[in-house]
This record gives sequence, C-alpha cells and structure tokens, in this order.
Amino acid sequence: MPMRTAARWLRHLLESVTIFLLIALATIVVAAVGARYLFNSSLPWYDEIASVGLAWITYFGAALAALRRSHLGFSGFMLSLRRGGRVALFLLSEAVVYAVLISLTYAGWYVLRVMADETLVSLDWVSLQVTQSVLPIGLALFVLAQVLSTPEAWARVLAGRAVEADEIEQEIAKAEAGLAAGDTRPSQTQPKEPQS
Amino acid sequence: MTALLALAGLVVLILVNVPIAIAICAVALVGMVAAKGDLGLFNAALTMFDGATSFPLIAIPLFILAGALMNTGGISKRLIAFVSALIAFVRGGLAMVNVGVSLFFAEISGSAVADVAAIGSVLIPSMKRRRYRATFAAAVTSSSASLAIIIPPSIPMILYGAMADTSIVQLFIAGVVPGLLGGFAMLCLCYWFAVKFDLPREEAFSLCRLWSAFKSAAWALLLPVIILGGIFGGVVTATEGAGLAVVAALLIGGLIYRELDLRLLHDALIEGVTQTAVVMLLVATSAVLGLYLTELELPQRLARWITEATSNKYLVLMMLNVLLLLLGMILHGAAAIILIVPIVLPLIQAVGIDPVHFGIILTLNLAIGQQTPPVASVLVTSCAIAKTDIWATTKVNLPFIATLFALLMLVTYVPIVPLALVELFYR
Repeated sequence: MPMRTAARWLRHLLESVTIFLLIALATIVVAAVGARYLFNSSLPWYDEIASVGLAWITYFGAALAALRRSHLGFSGFMLSLRRGGRVALFLLSEAVVYAVLISLTYAGWYVLRVMADETLVSLDWVSLQVTQSVLPIGLALFVLAQVLSTPEAWARVLAGRAVEADEIEQEIAKAEAGLAAGDTRPSQTQPKEPQS
Repeated sequence: MTALLALAGLVVLILVNVPIAIAICAVALVGMVAAKGDLGLFNAALTMFDGATSFPLIAIPLFILAGALMNTGGISKRLIAFVSALIAFVRGGLAMVNVGVSLFFAEISGSAVADVAAIGSVLIPSMKRRRYRATFAAAVTSSSASLAIIIPPSIPMILYGAMADTSIVQLFIAGVVPGLLGGFAMLCLCYWFAVKFDLPREEAFSLCRLWSAFKSAAWALLLPVIILGGIFGGVVTATEGAGLAVVAALLIGGLIYRELDLRLLHDALIEGVTQTAVVMLLVATSAVLGLYLTELELPQRLARWITEATSNKYLVLMMLNVLLLLLGMILHGAAAIILIVPIVLPLIQAVGIDPVHFGIILTLNLAIGQQTPPVASVLVTSCAIAKTDIWATTKVNLPFIATLFALLMLVTYVPIVPLALVELFYR
C-alpha cells in the first residue's frame, strides 16, 4: 500500500512537471515566431532553450512512462513461455534495466561536476550544470518509478498479460468516455434504417 | 565480429523484453566501457543528453499537443460531420467517411492507437448499426489510420528527417501525392466492398446539409491550411508550424467553439507527453548506439559489403523493402526508424537513393507493418473496439494491405510519384 501511495505522488509530480514543460516549450516557440513576424526581431536564445526544454521533457517524461511501464518493448517471446520462463526473463530484464540506469545516473552526476564553469552559448548566465542536471535527476526518478511499478509488472508477468493490452483498453475507455459527453453520430442527422 | 556480437546482444535483450531504449543503451555501454573504460561511460552520458536536444524534434510534442487540443475542443467532431455530409451518400458511405476522416486526422496526435481509438469509437459502432460487418469496420478503420502516417504532418517523417538530417518540409510534401493516391485507392476499395456486401447508403446528398456542416467545420478546416500553408509556403519551419497549430487549435476549440474540455485535455496531454518521452528516449539512446557503431564502422562496412555485391539501386531498394517489412511486423514504427536509419543511411547514399524518397518508402513500410500481426497495435485497437477477432479481421484486411503494398511498389519504383512536388517547388 505505501508503494501505491508513493507511486501516486510520483505520478502527480511528474505529470505536473511535464505538462508545465510542454506548455512552456509551446510558448517559447510561438513567442519566437511572433517576435520575428510582429516585431521583426529574433530571440537569440530560442532554439537553445527550446532544445534543452525538449531534453527535460524527455527525461522527466521517461520516468513517467516507466511508472506505467509504457516504454516500447517486445513482450511476444516472453509471453509465449510458461510461467517459470516468464519469471526468469522478467528478473533478467529488470536486472539489465537497473544496471543501465544506475550506471548512467552515476555518469550523468559525474559529468555535471566537470561542467562547473561552462554555460549556455546564448545565455551565459545559465550554467550547463543546471541544464544537464536533468540527466542524473531524470534517470534517478526513472529508477524510482521502475521500483514503484514493480508489483503491477510482476502481477502482469504471472498472469501472462501484455502492457499493450492494458493500454489499448485504457485508450478505448477514454475515447468512449469522451463520446459519452458529446455527439456520438458521425453525421449530424440520424441515419435511415437499413435498406432491404 | 564485435559488431555482429553487438547486434546479436541487442536482439537477445529485445527478446528478453528489456525496453528497446534500454537494450540499445546496454549494448552500446558494454562496448564503449570495454573499449575505453570509465571514459566510455561518461561519453555515453554526454551523448545521451545531446541526443535529446535535437531542435527539429521539438515539432513532435507540439503536434501532439495540437492533436490533443483538436480532439478535446470539438474540432475532430466537426470534421467527422463535414466529411460525413460530403461523401456518406455513396453506397458504403460510412466506410468512406472513415477513410476521409483518417486522412484529415493524419496521425497528428502522435499515437496511432489514440487516433484509432478516437475515430473508431465514433465510426465503428455506427457502421455496425448500419449492417457493416464488424471485421470490415475494424479493417477499414485500421488500414486508413495507417495510411495517414504518410500524409503531413507526420510524426514518423519528423523522426526520420531528424535521424537522416533530411528536410522535414520536403518529406511532408513528398507524402502528399502517395497519400492522396492511397486514399483514392482505399475509397475505390470501400466501394467494391460496399457492392459485394450490399452495404447501405446514408441519407441522400443534400447541399443544404453540406453547407451547414461546412459552416460548422469551417474553422476546423482552416487548421490544416494554416499549418501546412505556413510550412510549405516557407513562412515557418516544421517546428514553428507545430507551434502555430497549437495556438490555432487553442483559439478555435477554446474561443470559437467553446468546447475545450479541460479534464480530457489534461488526460490527452499526459498521454502526449508520455508518447513524446518514449520516442525521445529511443532517439537519445540511439545516439549512444550510433556513436558506438560509427566507431566500429558498421554502417560503412555494411554499405561496402552490399555495394560490392550489387550497385543496382532497385535491387537494393527491394532488399531494404523486405527488411523494413519484416522489422515493421515485429517492432513499433518509431523503434524501427531509430534502429534502422543510422545503419542503412550510408548504403542509401552509396547507391544514390534520394533520402527524401527513402523516407517515404520507410514510412509506407511501417504503415504496412502496423497491419500485420504479431505486433499490430493499430489493428488490435480497431478489433478491440469492433469486438472482433484479429485473424478474421486480417482476412478481410488483406485487400487493404494489398493496396498499401501496391502503393509501396509504385512509390519505390516510380520515384517521380513522391518526388514530383519536391522537384517542382524545392529543387
């Protein structure tokens, strides 16, 4: 139960951060176009900041996707095995994921120390330590998300159920919920009865 | 030998169900650390950050945001009503509405599954109520949604353009003629099915109803004009066009139609940002693998081996088509693009294939891959909505897959089909 609560808090945090970043990114791009055509002036920092924004969305969003186990994979072979085989491959897969993420978190943190004196090109008061901090922070959150989503992933492995099946069900449920609130007909008028 | 071991390791990790982005990174990390120790690890971290800062790819989250605003601001609903008033009077009209609406949506949301769920949930139940077979309803929804990925703005094309350093605007424009040809062929196929299954017409064509639907959808119809007109006219880049699409969708859905549902928008944004991150993490880790493979000179060696065997570009295109079709059957489109493009790009250049031409071929192959089990998320979603069996649907879907395949052959061996507009306006 505490894991579920922690997962919910982490999900709320990551959702808030990523939505804020997405809206900020859209605002920067639109502001740059507006500045160019309305005020005939360009924003020299626009492409560099927007690119950094994309990287931030990538790593915070990747942790959010990990919480839902939404990263693309191929589960067909694993699901074709018996329960023992599925469990063995699941444990192996988890071990590889943790090994890669923890190594890169350490490397990302180490690289930050080396960048102490470097700044962005267009905004020389913004340190690269700040912009690149998203790599170790995002990957550490990815590890946390992976841990917190383990019980659900484990249950799916035991049941022999793919993540994609859950996602498809969710998409259809969302679309149907949207329909319930609005028009359900493709045409604005009622269709006739079938012709004989 | 090292390169072969790396590729074999990658295949094994993917089969073990390690997420593909992590599998790519694991293989590259092991190779780089084995060659350079800790320095390889630090290099990988730096490359991973840089890999996620590609400016052209900013268009992906912005188009996804625009798609979310369209879906939750009443825009999509009006497009469906307009297309319905335009073509539903023909025999099998609802199937044709399905094709027409899919071409309008054109994979803007970034998730083919989300698009099929949005369109299919409206049209498939209506089709079933009107005596369409469930398998046919699922097949036409699924195939037309896949065709839409070659029509601009297309997220797989943005991804390919960034990976291959090719003009995204030229890719967009190269997709127009094949997309329209494919759409026309699918409409003809729908008519053939309509006669075969004795499918009904909807109500008779009415100019009044069309005008009323047009008035209601006029602002929605303006949206693609603003986006594509701005991009093709050279007024804005693809990324900026995506930014304008967000503003236009926000104004139309929020101020003009006043139907923006904030709760649904919130959900759509979460979905969109997750999809973006999934694709972008693949891009970032593929930059690490790209660095490693370049050090091994694998892409260059592969190009050399193949060009020593044959320099006939049509033969090379045939081999690539087979490879891409197979990959499309087992991998998600974004993963296939990210894995294959860095490896085959030197080969494409060596035999003189236009990268814009190859981009359309690649995208079409992936469209076909979305229709072929075992990995066929678009087809599976359609079948889930229609409550029908995947294999039974696949049988009905075969003529649609054959249409996509015929279009692929046309695009592959008659390059003028995708490149005519590019040559006319950009070269």
